[in-house]
Amino acid sequence: MKIDLKQRDKLDPRTKVFLLFLCIIAAIFAPSLKYELILVCIICIFGIYQHVIRYAILSLLAYIVIYIFTILLMKWEGGFQVSLISFLGLIHQVYPCGMMSGIIISSTHVGEFLTAMNQLHMSQKIIIPVAVMLRYLPTIKEDLGHIKDAMHLRDVSPSLLGFMKNPLMTIECIYVPLMMRASQTADELTIASITRGIENPVSRTSLIHIGFHIQDVIIAIVFIIINFVFIGKGVF
Amino acid sequence: MISIQNFSFQYHHTQSNCLNNIHLNIQDGECVLLCGRSGCGKTTIIRLINGLIPQFYQGKMNGKVQIDGKDIFQIPMYELSKKIGSVFQNPRTQFFNIDVDSEIAFGIENQGMPENQIQQRVQSTMTDLHIEDLSGLKLHDLSGGEKQKIAFASTYAMDNDIYLLDEPSSHLDHQATKSLHDYIQILKNKKKTIVIAEHRLYYLIDLVDKIVYMDHGKIQIYTPQELMNLSIQQREKMGLRTLSLQDLTWTQKTKKSSDYATLVFDRLSLFYQQKCVLQDISLQARRGEVIGVIGANGVGKSTFSRSICGLHKKKTGDILWEGQKKNDKECMRLSYMVMQDVNYQLFADSVYEECCLGIKDPHQQIIEETLDILDLQEYRDCHPNTLSGGQKQRVAVAVSMICQKDLLVFDEPTSGLDYDSMQQVSDFIQKVAQMGKVVFVVTHDYEFLCQCCYRVLHFDKGRLCHDLIMNEDSKPLLNHLFQI
Repeated sequence: MKIDLKQRDKLDPRTKVFLLFLCIIAAIFAPSLKYELILVCIICIFGIYQHVIRYAILSLLAYIVIYIFTILLMKWEGGFQVSLISFLGLIHQVYPCGMMSGIIISSTHVGEFLTAMNQLHMSQKIIIPVAVMLRYLPTIKEDLGHIKDAMHLRDVSPSLLGFMKNPLMTIECIYVPLMMRASQTADELTIASITRGIENPVSRTSLIHIGFHIQDVIIAIVFIIINFVFIGKGVF
Repeated sequence: MISIQNFSFQYHHTQSNCLNNIHLNIQDGECVLLCGRSGCGKTTIIRLINGLIPQFYQGKMNGKVQIDGKDIFQIPMYELSKKIGSVFQNPRTQFFNIDVDSEIAFGIENQGMPENQIQQRVQSTMTDLHIEDLSGLKLHDLSGGEKQKIAFASTYAMDNDIYLLDEPSSHLDHQATKSLHDYIQILKNKKKTIVIAEHRLYYLIDLVDKIVYMDHGKIQIYTPQELMNLSIQQREKMGLRTLSLQDLTWTQKTKKSSDYATLVFDRLSLFYQQKCVLQDISLQARRGEVIGVIGANGVGKSTFSRSICGLHKKKTGDILWEGQKKNDKECMRLSYMVMQDVNYQLFADSVYEECCLGIKDPHQQIIEETLDILDLQEYRDCHPNTLSGGQKQRVAVAVSMICQKDLLVFDEPTSGLDYDSMQQVSDFIQKVAQMGKVVFVVTHDYEFLCQCCYRVLHFDKGRLCHDLIMNEDSKPLLNHLFQI
């Protein structure tokens, strides 16, 4: 679901990449779980600001569940609990970055992204595969719908219960067609883009005007401050 | 001018030559149709001209291809894209953006056109192609036909000299095919060079100047008149689809259906996201009947076929089988759908394993018999993905027979098939029906409909508008529906 933003809310794609970078650093240096929660809340506000409201709120709620679960778990004792906590620790590290990427992907047009990366003088060898990937992600949902239908018709249940009963079968039934489709779709998308000159080395222009505005600066400063606080608390 | 001289080509993964010492000259402003059976090399020629060979598809090649006197293999892809525009088969995988306007601008953005000119060019393209009403919409909300229009528009906006179209109509309904015809006419009026590879010939025959018939990598040149003069038998022997929909004869289908209604829909209404898509459908179907389902792109045909199979939950009304009410789960167990993209439903490593997949005690004898009936015995150890489109469909049907499903739905089984494959699909659908199954076929393909179906359902404006037996009496009405 992509949303058209008003000019006032629009961020330059380069700012978004910078924010993602800051977000990774903040997640690494977050001194405790509480700070991690604050970071996720801020990302949620950022998501709402970028009009990715549903996704942002759902991700926040999901994180709160994981958060509470972790807190409860820490009260218990035992060997199993230790390994579970280290696993959850991994999730806590990755979650904010994943959530941020989701918001960025759903609020950026592919054309905008291409032009911005072009202005950063990124290599075509990196830009084109990333653009194809950005475009491919939304089609996965559509593909999964078809695959689910096909599984129902074969009396293989695509639900969690079906997975518990017969995990290998379920994985095979989802994985095989999804991979087949993915390689085909990626090929077709690549062809459609290179026959329309995506590899052209001249500086790319854009129908939607991109450029830095005051909101880019403000958001960047907010995230830089968060980083300072996190690193300050974490290291000293 | 495009000139191909003494050219041979072989893809890396194949044994035999795909193109065999070909000579072909295409003059500026000419409109050329490439036709022939699937796998005859049509698409290879398109790929050769737009530079995908050798830059994307590699293989052994021999000979010369020149464009305006320059060797095409020396020109980088992005230079070619300023001169040559391509439109492909699948509308789903040709767009890169989310909204219509940025998609139309995509090609000219890549060329680095100044911002204010892009704006103007997008506007003028929309006016030329009469798609102003699509401006500002999201591509995901468009129908297949509309998506294909945008793919065309994006190429058109680049204002190239040469246009290549690779089976552009295979996912389109008759209305959208008509628009495609008009677009090609616009290009012709602008004196552009056009090369089209296509199975459906009827909508192109009044546009093209030259027809290149391909067979096993060899070519033969016809004028449209020469092709029209061929007898039906000669044309069918060449594996070509009909040149004119008016001339189609309706094969009288021997009806071997039971005399009572097996499947009954009782005031079925279907909803999609709170919106009523189809309202109050009541109908009866007998075993042995092949029922065609027609209607424009986006009218709700796929919702209808999904609900027959119990896959669509939001509905009111009843589905009865042999007099008994069936819920979604029971419908699912009863029915099988052969999807338009059959790749979604093939899971296993070999045809034989595919047939056994998920069945607790696969009955050996039934599997062997089914493979025999559908001529799949020789492919039993092949990986399903190495088979052709028609063969994959047969594997899916084999699965349905082994699971003993009595209700079959085919979704667009002939998109992108040549005459021979269409004939085969039609034959085995007849065969399956005569085994006492109820068969629904969703299709846009009038030629196929005439060959295969006994009865036709037409959906329009959320209702079942017509329910016809295909005979001489209903011919005028059907011709009207297909605007022939």
